[in-house]
Amino acid sequence: MTTTALSQPSSQPGDTGLIILNPWQLAWRRFRKHKMAVIALGGLILIFAYIWLGGLLFARGQCIPIHKYVTGEAYANCNDTSMKLKPPSGEHLFGTDTIGRDILARTIYGGQISLSIGIFAAVVEVIVGVLVGAISGYFGRWVDDILMRITEAMLIIPQLFLLIVLAKALGGKVPEIHIAGRTLSGSVIVIILVIGFTSWMYLARIVRANVLSLKELDYISASRALGVSDARIIFKHLLPNTIAPIIVSATLSVSGAILSEAYVSFLGLGVQTPTASWGNMLDSAVKYIQSAPWLWFFPGLLILLTVLCINFIGDGLRDALDPRSTRHI
Amino acid sequence: MVNYILRRLAQAIPQLLLISLILFLLMQTFGDPIASLGRRTPPRPADRERLRRQLGLDQPVYMQYLVWLVGNDWMKIDMDGDGVAETPGKRLGVLRGDFGNSLISKRPVLKLITERIPNTLLLMVTAEIVIIIFSLVIGVYSAVEQYSFFDNLVTALSFVGYSMPIFLIALLSMYLFSLNFKEWGLPYLPTVGMFDPEVGRTPGQVALHMILPVFSLSVISIAGYSRYVRSSMLEILGLDYIRTARAKGLRDNLVVMRHALRNALLPFVTLVGLDIPFLLAGAVVTESIFGWPGTGRLFVERTAQSDFPVLMAILMMTAVAVVVFQLLTDIAYSYLDPRIRIE
Amino acid sequence: MKRNLYYLLSLVVLASMILAACGGATPAATEAPPAATEPPAATEPAATEPATAAATEPAATNPGTVIITFPQEPTTLNPLYAEQWFSTILTQFWLKGLWSFDPDGQPVPELATEVPSKENGGLSEDGLTLTIKLRDDVTWSDGEPITANDFVFTYDMYMADANIVSSRYPYEDYVTSVEAPDDQTVVVNFSAPFAGWLTGIFAYGAIPEHVLRPVFDSEGTLDTAEWNIAPTVGVGPFVFKEWESASHMIFEANPNWINPPKVEQIFIRMVDDAAQEVAILAGDTDIGVYLDYSQAEAINNSGKATFVVQPAGYDEGWYLNFNAETVHPALQDVNVRKAIALATDREKITQDLLGGQTEPPATFWDSTPPFGNPDLEPYPYDPEEAQRLLDEAGWVDSNGDGTRDKDGVELVLRYISNDRALRKDVKAVVQQMWAQVGIGAELKEYGDDFFNGYADGGPQPTGQYEIAEYSDNPDGFPDPDESATWLCSEVVGEDNPEGGNWQGYCNPELDELLNQQATETDPEARKQLYYQIAQILYDDVVWIGIWKDPDLWSVSNRLQGVRFSGATPFWNAHEWTISE
Repeated sequence: MTTTALSQPSSQPGDTGLIILNPWQLAWRRFRKHKMAVIALGGLILIFAYIWLGGLLFARGQCIPIHKYVTGEAYANCNDTSMKLKPPSGEHLFGTDTIGRDILARTIYGGQISLSIGIFAAVVEVIVGVLVGAISGYFGRWVDDILMRITEAMLIIPQLFLLIVLAKALGGKVPEIHIAGRTLSGSVIVIILVIGFTSWMYLARIVRANVLSLKELDYISASRALGVSDARIIFKHLLPNTIAPIIVSATLSVSGAILSEAYVSFLGLGVQTPTASWGNMLDSAVKYIQSAPWLWFFPGLLILLTVLCINFIGDGLRDALDPRSTRHI
Repeated sequence: MVNYILRRLAQAIPQLLLISLILFLLMQTFGDPIASLGRRTPPRPADRERLRRQLGLDQPVYMQYLVWLVGNDWMKIDMDGDGVAETPGKRLGVLRGDFGNSLISKRPVLKLITERIPNTLLLMVTAEIVIIIFSLVIGVYSAVEQYSFFDNLVTALSFVGYSMPIFLIALLSMYLFSLNFKEWGLPYLPTVGMFDPEVGRTPGQVALHMILPVFSLSVISIAGYSRYVRSSMLEILGLDYIRTARAKGLRDNLVVMRHALRNALLPFVTLVGLDIPFLLAGAVVTESIFGWPGTGRLFVERTAQSDFPVLMAILMMTAVAVVVFQLLTDIAYSYLDPRIRIE
Repeated sequence: MKRNLYYLLSLVVLASMILAACGGATPAATEAPPAATEPPAATEPAATEPATAAATEPAATNPGTVIITFPQEPTTLNPLYAEQWFSTILTQFWLKGLWSFDPDGQPVPELATEVPSKENGGLSEDGLTLTIKLRDDVTWSDGEPITANDFVFTYDMYMADANIVSSRYPYEDYVTSVEAPDDQTVVVNFSAPFAGWLTGIFAYGAIPEHVLRPVFDSEGTLDTAEWNIAPTVGVGPFVFKEWESASHMIFEANPNWINPPKVEQIFIRMVDDAAQEVAILAGDTDIGVYLDYSQAEAINNSGKATFVVQPAGYDEGWYLNFNAETVHPALQDVNVRKAIALATDREKITQDLLGGQTEPPATFWDSTPPFGNPDLEPYPYDPEEAQRLLDEAGWVDSNGDGTRDKDGVELVLRYISNDRALRKDVKAVVQQMWAQVGIGAELKEYGDDFFNGYADGGPQPTGQYEIAEYSDNPDGFPDPDESATWLCSEVVGEDNPEGGNWQGYCNPELDELLNQQATETDPEARKQLYYQIAQILYDDVVWIGIWKDPDLWSVSNRLQGVRFSGATPFWNAHEWTISE
């Protein structure tokens, strides 16, 4: 992308009358035009606040069975079987689950897991996809051949099948981890890796296509002739110019990963309890669809809203960063 | 053209072999298929050992893969546990069309799958047709009547539909249309299976039982594709030559249908062709929930039981199907767009 | 402006979701439409006329067909290959054996004229020979008479190396030969007196020789026989009609059976758990199979069916790890083990989580009458005593992190199970209970590989746990023999990878009792032995009972006469009737 000048009346004496905006500022302006994306951005910020800060506000209460007042994740894990399956009430705004845990608190801490899985899986996807695509497109010939064959091979198997196979293969093999004061089941890492490693192919193809065309530009050939290292060319020249589809893809990957997590949990191969996630909360609600709808309604709603917002934002980003793109979903 | 097809197929073969090897290795980590024989308790240890031997699971991994690929009728195996191989094997291997026997039921895998494939195909093909028709109709109408109430409604619903997990859609629709409608005295749809036992397997019954699964399968795709068609159409409708045609006085319908639509169809064809894997996967969840006797459900069940001959067969057949469909789509694409040449 | 409509419309969709939820949340007790108002049947059974007014057609109104839903599908019907419970329970319909078992666990003769015993000479004095007399008025469904040769053939097929049968127990271990001195007499010779013969020998009947011997001779094995999935020749109140994989199975009434059934057809639908629930509540199934405690309330309130509980010898219990090399050092102290039991309020768990449908057992045999030791009570819930025991054992919280420790080792126990939802809930509740006495828990779940063997690195045989929770019954229920689990010779390890003693518990005193009971054919003496066995396991806290785990069924209100038994649930299918 090159800088573009925008002509506007200037309010300062001595100005030439031109305000030059860099590509990012331009993109932001275009983004702002997409009303839904802006609203979605606000929505997503609210969701983030709910998940990462809501615990301070909502996750506190008397845990009767252990005769203590608890806060934070301890509150989310506090179970009181005599209070099980209670509908939403003043004390438990979202009701209680099958062993009496507060669903509101669990959606908060479960949300931390689901969103983290979404983000980190997207990170894995982007790293693998960009690397494969860039290396494949830049070096060409047999490197390209092999990498593309591998990519196609992975594309041939439907992602859900791959998810199932990998989740079963790796499940239970990773021990518990302790992060940021929380104790997480090792299955979280497994899910992140599994989702990440089964979705990078699309991005790889896009990056490769862009790199292939950018490779032919004069200044790139000049750089190579001058002896600039391949790594430098890839990372400083080629990739920055193909950043638009990467960003859009990364954004949509997050929502895709959140949905994938829900699928895998529904099939019983996802995040294992006691760690909560929106996906496994849905899974344990299957038997109570009619009798206790609050079990699935709130995690389901949160998944829907989060994915919706991210999709809108992705749509807006696509408009903003690549206005020529016709791939609107 | 023939050369191209042959070349593509030739490229696909090493890919398929590679996939089969990787998947086979992955499945070794699944755990003991013998452990899951029986739902409540594990088999007795003495039987376990005998079963491992009889099923060929005590062989090293590379040997098991080899047998899976080319069979073992060219060598002898030890059936009675004395350590001496005396019985000739009976398996022909995948390359000769023998996918082995299910570890759970000991029956030929191919038979098991061919019983189920028609059911899945029925569901998928119907869903694909529904998806194509509805996506096109909704997408075109939305584009032509841009920003109308219909357009906005559809866009909103599309986004929501696209953001929901398929099993939630399936479960909710099942509860709503089967259970709740029945309770409220409204005409209701059946709950599970392909047909009602009382009535028998009639086309009417099957069609009735297909409504909810097909609905669940297609909602997400329709949501996505109708948007895609809409934007493709919008882009083309804004092009100069369309304006020219309109200026020349051609009737609007004519303009839309003949000129715009055909060009908008191109990328759509590719997408639909590549949707096959997604449908197969979507079928997994839908079939499980609606009790539809297809290969998707078989895959989930047998994964839990680590019955990897069945899993390998399903995966490899899916892979072959995807390769074939990609090829067909590329060929169709080349016919539709005269600018594309197959070299 | 138009775009703001999007959000409004999204809300509309969400609102409809809410509606759907509300529609479902009204407690089912509001109204239960009486079954009598359902319109009468519009079609005949299994007719192929096209469905009319399809959308309003009610299901399950035919008086002759009993509909059963199976959440898991059998993979084969041949008892030699069937390890699954879902397969073996079907034999009561179409392949009756020598005898079946009633709800009290007492044998009821079917193909045999009477149950052999020492009194009537069926079992020899030294317990080494079993003689069974067959009825002479029973034939296979194709008219061929049933003879002792069918039983000899069945035994041969179990032992044939070419057949990948699911289990050779007990033939491999105890039987030397099976003979047919005449057509109506089967003689089984044992290598040693075998106490469990009643439930182990020909438990699932015989397979028809006249049909299967030609198959075995020509193909060399029965593995791929068509009869395995389409056993059109059988013997029982019903005859197999058809089986469409993943869809359904049909059995038709056999009027030639000794006790002809009163219904016309059994129709088994293969569904998954969620769908079965919907079917039960909608009245679309007559018998719901393998249910969950959580479904009891909804089913009983639906007005369409009743939740039924039938003991089948299963108890949900904790199996403690005794492998000195892999277990947490704390568990090697019997007082710590006792403290664990005392710190868990199992009564509350069964009340709250299982709807009070069952109770904690004291011993493994509480659900296998009459072998449960009446003098033993379940360990009480006594957290103060648990704390005292732990203090005395030297486990105190020296670093103030809430969990006890000793010599620098935290008292955190690996508590594992498979991934059944109920168990996950129980584990979370137990974790909280333990936390109050300072015991920490690391909860782990496994899929079906929970039962992986030693060779596959299964968590139990390789000792990667302190407490493993699962439900089990004696292998040959209603026979109580469960020796393989606790014999010293069965301890699993590098040198014995197929051993059945996954806890690694070895007690010579217990060994002696276990060996004795295996050959004790006097029921009263055997019972006494089991009282002693249970006492040892109780005192040493080897097995902690969590709840008695009966089979959970549902029976629709229109189906009458159903009495489930633990071992052979469908034993009285010929008495079932459908009332409208």
